[in-house]
Amino acid sequence: MKKVKILTITLAIILITAIAFGGIYVQKQNRMENVVEDYKYAMDLEGTRTVRLEVDTGTTTVVKDSEGKEVKDTENLTEEQMTEKGYTKEEVPNNSEDVKNEENYKKAKEILEKRLQKMGVNNYTIKLDTQAGDIVVEIPEDDSTDTVVSQLVTVGKFTIQDSETGEVLMDNNDIKLASAISGADNTSTSAVAKTRIYLNIEFTKDGAKKLEDISNRYLKIEETKEDTENAENTETTETDENGEEKTEKKVTIKIDDTEIMTTNFEEPMRTGKMQLSMGGASSDQKTLQGYAAQASSIAVVLDTGNLPVKYQATENSYVLSDVTNQELSIVVYALLAVVVVALIVLIVRYKKLGALATISYIGLISVFLILIRYANVVISIEGIFAIAIVLVLNYIFVNKLLSKLKEEKLTKTTANKGIAETYKEFFIRIIPVCILAIVFCFINWSPISSFGMVMFWGITLIAIYNAIITNILLKIEADK
Amino acid sequence: MKNLTKKQKIIMSIVAIIIIAGIAVVAFMGFNFDLRFQTAQKLELYLGEDFKIADIQNITKEIMPNEQVIVQKVEVYGDSVSIIAKEITEEQKQKIIEKVNEKYELELKAEETEIVTVPNTKGRDLINPYIWPFAIATGITLVYMAIRYRKLNIVNVILKTMLTLVIAEATLISLIAITRIPIGRLTIPMVITVYMLTFVGLTTKFEKELEAQKEE
Repeated sequence: MKKVKILTITLAIILITAIAFGGIYVQKQNRMENVVEDYKYAMDLEGTRTVRLEVDTGTTTVVKDSEGKEVKDTENLTEEQMTEKGYTKEEVPNNSEDVKNEENYKKAKEILEKRLQKMGVNNYTIKLDTQAGDIVVEIPEDDSTDTVVSQLVTVGKFTIQDSETGEVLMDNNDIKLASAISGADNTSTSAVAKTRIYLNIEFTKDGAKKLEDISNRYLKIEETKEDTENAENTETTETDENGEEKTEKKVTIKIDDTEIMTTNFEEPMRTGKMQLSMGGASSDQKTLQGYAAQASSIAVVLDTGNLPVKYQATENSYVLSDVTNQELSIVVYALLAVVVVALIVLIVRYKKLGALATISYIGLISVFLILIRYANVVISIEGIFAIAIVLVLNYIFVNKLLSKLKEEKLTKTTANKGIAETYKEFFIRIIPVCILAIVFCFINWSPISSFGMVMFWGITLIAIYNAIITNILLKIEADK
Repeated sequence: MKNLTKKQKIIMSIVAIIIIAGIAVVAFMGFNFDLRFQTAQKLELYLGEDFKIADIQNITKEIMPNEQVIVQKVEVYGDSVSIIAKEITEEQKQKIIEKVNEKYELELKAEETEIVTVPNTKGRDLINPYIWPFAIATGITLVYMAIRYRKLNIVNVILKTMLTLVIAEATLISLIAITRIPIGRLTIPMVITVYMLTFVGLTTKFEKELEAQKEE
């Protein structure tokens, strides 16, 4: 009966080992597919999106009037019309010579780093050429990579301008923080569209004063019938009580010289906060998520400040890891070879008990390898190291337990006593390791969290698995 | 130093020499960074078909025999190759392209292929993400040790722990500097291993002291 029990456990372990190392294959559309979850690798083992940002050396053609002021919307004008109006074309460098210096390059690197952190990129490298100003960014490849890359080249220049004169009323220096928020949309009747996405901009103390002043100056004039008819016009006029005409002025909000909106204020803004609607009404969930992503991206760019240097992406490619599958296999086989030797030592030293512990140990490796796949652990080089450490820790645990049991005749009582003592001694000694593992689990940096998660699951497994499987095997043997 | 045994004194002297030598090496020569963290030059070639990295490595070994070279596949289809070396001369570029053309029957032109400079990664950028996690873990562990081993004199336990940790890590870093082992992907795992071993060693020692005190 006891032999049957041991055999059953051994067969179960063999089955788990086969699943862990081979997988479970089922037929899907005329081909066999492994249904066991695959390992998730971090950027050092999987590959990186490499983006090369070079200082923009190009120029932009600017049309200026006879007074030297920039003139917008001149695309439709012919050369003759331009000459008639006294307009001249000028080639303006995208980066003037005075911005191309080491200080600005370093500042740009810091800003990019902040952007990556705010966008939740959990592993990256930024390399800066302090002479030329070129920056190479390496980030993990996933669904959000393209959005992240697009935010790297965005300068993030924010302005609130007079829509007529182009006078800059507020800029990035007035922003304290920006965020994407969702709020109720009372105008909507659809369930989904009850949410509206806003870009929330909070201004500094000085910025808040400026905003209040601007909102007073650019206050919306109450619409009259005549105004409604002329709603298409950007300017509305009203006659005040003295009979003088008041002109409704508007502001244009721009990011990187692209117009976000032209509007005026319903009431003076005294809170120092401004919410710009990004969309929501009559939208489905997917569109709403799109608005939220867009608002978050703009918020990140505004929150981290504008790049002092304009960059252009000259390389944007996916580079596979230089750690090849072959090299990874060598590491795995080397690790397995060490485990095999260590287990042989265990069998030679402790005979039957050693053999039972070996069966249990192999089972733990297999369960562990399946567990880290389903626990959503991302494996990095640090993670592989953690796997090796977990195997060493379990070996120390098993060895300690067997050496205790060897001292006395194996009975159920001595087995219980030995297991209890080993648990106490072992786990008290590795409490600092447990603390390190738990702290690392919460760090948003994939090599660190990989190490922490692998260690956490490994130590948890050592505690639970040995309490069940190793314990049962030893007690069956003790019953004999 | 009064209570130290002869063996302990020898070990401490060796450790001190290693740390001093390490500081001197770092001061005069700095660390030896792995190629992927150094300023390097990169050559990217579009092969248009899947290839074996080993084949490209053989070509680079033949042309740049004594240089460390990183060969990586580029793009999802893996049909381009990136070759990174400390320095790639125009002549080497020409030869690499000739060999690649020969091997894969291609017509890549050296004049159309550009060598680009890959900037270095700053050492502090490498260690920055690890500072806070280690500081938090160490802080919590010290609190735990102060509570658990309070009978062994809290100040003594904390000082011993801190000192041992600093010495152990300093020894490791000094050894890395002296032996010129490149600072790379394995450096952090090495630091973590020494960190854990130090704490496990210390808890074992303190547990024994605690047991001895109980028996007394």
